[in-house]
Amino acid sequence: MTPSVALAAALLAAGAPALPPPAVGPGAPRPDAAALVERARALGLARDTGWLRLGHWRRGAFGWRSEARTPGFFLAPGGAEDPARELEATIEGMFSPAVPEPEGEESIEPERMHAQCRFPARLAYLVQKLELDPQSLPRQECVRLGAFWRRVAARSVTLVFSSYYLNNPSSAFGHTFLRLNKADPGAGGDRYELLDQGADYAAQVDTTNPVAYAIRGLAGLFPGRFSARPYFYKVREYADYESRDLWEYDLRLEPGEVAMLVAHLWELGGTEFRYWYLTANCSYQVLALLETAAPRLDLTAQLRWITVPADTVRAVAASPGLVERVRWRPSIQTQFAARTRDMPDRELDQVAALADDPATALPSGWSAAEGALVLDAALDLVDLRYAKQIVNETDPGALRLRQTLLERRGATGVIAAPLDAPPPPSGGPDAGHPSRRLGLAAGGGRGEPAFLVAEYRAALHDLADPPAGFSPRTQLEFGRVRLRFTPERPSLRLDEAWLLELASLNAIDRFDHRPSWRLRVGGETILDAGCDRCVAGKLEGGAGVSHVALGDAVVALGTVDAEVAAAPGLKGTGGSAARLGLGPTGTLRLASSSRFALLANASWRWLPSAAPAATYAWSVQGRAHLRSGSIALEWRRAPLANEALVWWRAFL
Amino acid sequence: MKTASKLLAGALFLLLATAAQAQTSSSSSSSSSSPKHAYGTAGCGLGSLAFGDQGGAIQVIAATLNGIGGQTFAITTGTSNCGEAAVSVRGAELFIEANKEALAKDAARGSGETIVTLSHLAGCKDPAAVGVVLQKQLTTIVPDGAKASVEKTISTLRSDKSLACSVLG
Repeated sequence: MTPSVALAAALLAAGAPALPPPAVGPGAPRPDAAALVERARALGLARDTGWLRLGHWRRGAFGWRSEARTPGFFLAPGGAEDPARELEATIEGMFSPAVPEPEGEESIEPERMHAQCRFPARLAYLVQKLELDPQSLPRQECVRLGAFWRRVAARSVTLVFSSYYLNNPSSAFGHTFLRLNKADPGAGGDRYELLDQGADYAAQVDTTNPVAYAIRGLAGLFPGRFSARPYFYKVREYADYESRDLWEYDLRLEPGEVAMLVAHLWELGGTEFRYWYLTANCSYQVLALLETAAPRLDLTAQLRWITVPADTVRAVAASPGLVERVRWRPSIQTQFAARTRDMPDRELDQVAALADDPATALPSGWSAAEGALVLDAALDLVDLRYAKQIVNETDPGALRLRQTLLERRGATGVIAAPLDAPPPPSGGPDAGHPSRRLGLAAGGGRGEPAFLVAEYRAALHDLADPPAGFSPRTQLEFGRVRLRFTPERPSLRLDEAWLLELASLNAIDRFDHRPSWRLRVGGETILDAGCDRCVAGKLEGGAGVSHVALGDAVVALGTVDAEVAAAPGLKGTGGSAARLGLGPTGTLRLASSSRFALLANASWRWLPSAAPAATYAWSVQGRAHLRSGSIALEWRRAPLANEALVWWRAFL
Repeated sequence: MKTASKLLAGALFLLLATAAQAQTSSSSSSSSSSPKHAYGTAGCGLGSLAFGDQGGAIQVIAATLNGIGGQTFAITTGTSNCGEAAVSVRGAELFIEANKEALAKDAARGSGETIVTLSHLAGCKDPAAVGVVLQKQLTTIVPDGAKASVEKTISTLRSDKSLACSVLG
């Protein structure tokens, strides 16, 4: 029995009312399209939440506008702006005469499909709301829809979050997608998750120019599409290739809602949306898909203007009863850390040696089991170091290295036990603080009147924010603006405005020699003699090393940075308005618990051919995280500033 | 009543789809064993899907597999060249090709999720026994290049009758 037939039988057995018998006889009234259109008008269905979500209509300044972009998503001309007309056209389309589906081609344009095959979710909606008798419809064969339905065979849905990946802008904030499970996780028995279908929404990138990529992504100039592929592709892509952990949130949805989700995914498959990196991105569309399948859910209304995948996970987790279970899939990097965490030095030495020279002989006293453990770790290390080269087969040496290790591991004859790699105590994105942050401070300084500061940050997390749910070694901040008000003057000025502030701390250990780096783009007030407290645009970046001790309680980063600052009136390099700076920056974070962090920052810059010849800035702040927000004490020092601030920050 | 009407919607939809399936069951079974188009498994590996026609600076700054495959995984095809994760010979072949790096490692270890999944796709009786055999035959199924070979893996599973991999015949 195929899954779909079994599920249909189970649903009927669960008590769904039997379909009404078809009315027969010449005088018997049969609901036809016109009567149903009338009934729809009487019920006001065109304004119903379920219908509006099926068409992705949003109320704009000029009326309704659908987020779907391709005309093929609408049956009525102008349907993108008119939910009522689209509803009527859909009802009429369901009754149009059956047509044979074109054979032979892999895919056909949605326009060539009958409405029943093109919009199965809309059909199910009309059946439910209008009590449409499906037996009264023309019998239409839907070959491709049937094949898709069989391929997916969904019984439950899981929301998957792949964690932050700073090396790639489109993945820097994480990524969310759905997994359509062939089995019900609550039912027990075997699960073959790798064979489930993953459904996600992504931008269709057609440029290799990084500047165009950035501009078009931010400006909503890429089309976005839904696609479906087996989950094993996602696991290989995220957990193996990019070494990103996967958090899996099993969702509690009714069987009818799961069916609607798959049906609507089919409807979305042929259409495009505008992909906005900051707002209508992957995570937003995943929530919209869940809301369409289950109109009782209200998820996108909880999002703010900037949508970050972690916020959407939190919106789902906050919906009562929606998340049934949380699971975690460790990446290869995490697996390697778990393998080597408790290894004695002599074993770690062997792992390092094998990853360089796979023919390294193991010490003679070792058991086969110990040799197997060391080879397992060495194999993960090789996969970490040469992920791209191995997949793309660009480095024969790496492939030979892996081959030798594989053969040696196989020759031990030791069957590997399941690896114990528990999820991080800081939890998944559902445990994280909201990404928007508002701060207010009062401050004063030597030779300065008292002032007030207001700060707003659009997303996401800095090194001293509450650590739960985030990587302790990543700073990823977007859109931070700080204003300063000095009552005595009175004056209101822009202190700083940063588009991006990133720092990726890679702790150097015997296995990992990757550099750490930081990057800032934005503007800040120049606090030295270079100009009269002007606000200069700044681009600053650097690379260096990090050290981590006591399990992330002590984190230190040292980089060598280069920066360019420009402002009218700035005494820049060679007398120009732009100034080059070079020099070291150090950051130290001490976190005794998840409730308190001390963060210190110090930088010194040599300013060649500019006035002054050098500048510096340093700050120390201590932050305490309370239930409702954070309080902090901060001290800042620069050539023209020496001030202390008391902060109150809240996460929204 | 609300739940029941939802169930109705679900049941209805499934019945429609099942009706479609019943009418096309003969054509679907033939397509799984001999695809209409000459499409081997080679195009379904990670490497060929990811970097088929991309190049340039994007690969340097953003070498991610996010959105690999493009048209291969479009939804409106109904079928998918690389996405057929079905219990069948072709399903097993596609799985091996797409997971050949991870499968080689699991085979060397004699256990792992890819072995359990492959065992399910090939209809084998006991995934633990499959793991033992794949480990013993590692140099056969991973002859070189540090990745599992589709033909060698399938023939190894097929020829060892104690594994009873019913789907492979």
